[in-house]
Amino acid sequence: MAREAKYKESTKLIALSTKNKAFEFKKPLEKVIKYQGKPVDIRLHEDPQGFSYIVWKNKKYMLDVIEKNQNRYTIMINGVWHSFTVETPISLKRRRYLEEQGDSSSTVAIEAPMPGKIIDIMVEEGSEIKEGDPIIILEAMKMQNEINSHVSGIIKSVEVKKNETVMKDDVLIEIQKG
Amino acid sequence: MKIKSLLIANRGEIAIRIVRTARKMGIRSYVIKTSKEPNAWYLEEADEIIDFSEDFDENLPEFLDIERIIARAKEHKVDAIHPGYGFLAENPDFARRCEEEKIVFIGPSHDAIYRMGHKTIAKELARKSGVPLLGGSPGAVANAEEARQIANKIGYPVILKAAAGGGGRGMRIVSKEKDIERMFTLATNEAEKAFNNPDVFIERYVREPRHIEFQILADKHGNVVHLGERECSVQRKHQKLLEESPSPALDAKLRKKMGDAAIKITKSVNYFSAGTVEFLLDVDNSFSFMEMNTRIQVEHPVTEMVTGIDLIEQMILIAEGKKLAFTQKDIKLNGWAIEWRINAEDVQSGFSPSLGTIEKISWPENEHVRVDTGVRDGSVITPYYDSMIAKLIVHAETREKALQQSSMAIRKFWIKGPRTTLAFCRAVLQNSNFRKGNFNTSFLSKELKLHYHAEPEEEILAAFFATYDYARGVHQFEEKPLRLEKSQKISPWVLKKRLR
Repeated sequence: MAREAKYKESTKLIALSTKNKAFEFKKPLEKVIKYQGKPVDIRLHEDPQGFSYIVWKNKKYMLDVIEKNQNRYTIMINGVWHSFTVETPISLKRRRYLEEQGDSSSTVAIEAPMPGKIIDIMVEEGSEIKEGDPIIILEAMKMQNEINSHVSGIIKSVEVKKNETVMKDDVLIEIQKG
Repeated sequence: MKIKSLLIANRGEIAIRIVRTARKMGIRSYVIKTSKEPNAWYLEEADEIIDFSEDFDENLPEFLDIERIIARAKEHKVDAIHPGYGFLAENPDFARRCEEEKIVFIGPSHDAIYRMGHKTIAKELARKSGVPLLGGSPGAVANAEEARQIANKIGYPVILKAAAGGGGRGMRIVSKEKDIERMFTLATNEAEKAFNNPDVFIERYVREPRHIEFQILADKHGNVVHLGERECSVQRKHQKLLEESPSPALDAKLRKKMGDAAIKITKSVNYFSAGTVEFLLDVDNSFSFMEMNTRIQVEHPVTEMVTGIDLIEQMILIAEGKKLAFTQKDIKLNGWAIEWRINAEDVQSGFSPSLGTIEKISWPENEHVRVDTGVRDGSVITPYYDSMIAKLIVHAETREKALQQSSMAIRKFWIKGPRTTLAFCRAVLQNSNFRKGNFNTSFLSKELKLHYHAEPEEEILAAFFATYDYARGVHQFEEKPLRLEKSQKISPWVLKKRLR
């Protein structure tokens, strides 16, 4: 309900990219986009095969929503994906405020870059590591992949066991930055 | 002997590819149904299905189960077995068992597979044939300490390779002495897992070579020809991502020199069937023998496009004992062909697998485009097999035109479902050094900074699409209060709406 309220009160919607780039669109959403200061007409289509595409300056762009969770979106366009959160002016303000207040947490989680099986764990709780040190060997698609730490610090916790199967983005290890 | 029926011990696009040639030749095709892909497309393309799906052994995948394949082949009285690539294609025991059971193995002899599959024996054969080689250990390295000693002698960087390996598995590059022990263990473990053989050997590592391979055809009567080269330098972690034929790096003189070397190695094992001889080409045009692949390769279509020769058909004719119908001087390379591998991998997250259902797939159809694929709308990319969706092969008169046609074809290659390497293909096509033909195996790590390419307007269109979908969702949400009015729980927002 709260979301509906914000939507109704706002005059525009903002798609915020993961790199914090904001794209503003006026409501109701018109089929005109301002690009490099100039308005450009766009047309949204669905072809008989079930692909959605936008026609922009006489070129077709294939689009697909590949992930959607409340206001978080991942859109595939011409084979490349882009992630956004869709915000109203109020929710964006709130988000920015929280970011400023946010604790600059000193714990970093190392996540599995792909689904696979843990073959070896090279660290244990309390061990000191440097940036680039190997921490885990993950087998995926028949390849053994060395997962390296992208920070220096002390291992706070090891969240996985040898021979365990993990999913993409599962937390493997937490590191206390230092 | 004329082959009348053929069992394909493989799946996916290569199974379909072999079925098509078999049909053209009037041969009845049989494929294997597994519980992992009971609805796969290749099953419908073949004439007969042999069902392995009731019986599921996690430790022995269907396409590796030699005795079961042989038994079922005999039961159905098939004349021959084509192994495709991967799985049992380079397993000498399988070829030997076929020979013992009087089933024609569409490939070389088990002896040739064994000797070329064993890297140290293959190197010795190349040395005896007078073909140049890289310095390194004469055989398998016993332990990390011996690895250290050899590496110190030949100088860093060195590469550790599985003796029974291939396809980039069990391979590790070591630049510094301090890493050798750890890398030796990694390579040994991986080799053991992947090939049931922990043996690894060491070679001097050429930093920025080109990977050039020659396609060979040899019959059972001692006739050997090469069908030109394939340029396979664009790789990631030793996995090929695209291949072209010919190579921008070779001229007629170098092609002849390398082709002659490839033929010499082929003859050293009395090889017959199709095969591939791989070389590393250094910047000074010196080359060294790497290995011989004793199977049909994933990238064989580029050779087919420029030579006009159906390699699967030739493999079958050779297996029947026929003589090659052409000699070296008949082989002409016509135009330029490039194969783009479209895999279900997320290039924007380090090429991690992106499994799932292909909801929709479509590509442009024209004289320049050939697509070899094992999937269609609704097919599933499973974790059991490789991540390949399709091979897009583009053929034109010149490299420049082939690149141009590639850009158009990739733009119109639409896949709804998993994330794919199409984004990577676009990045490669944008790169000026690639366009100039100026690249080597370090292309991905050094030259191609971003492994995907997006046009600037695409992000704003994606942003619009997200916003549009969101707004539509909220709009649907607004309809609900009408129904809520009838119930007891009336939302204050509904009231607010009514009051206005």
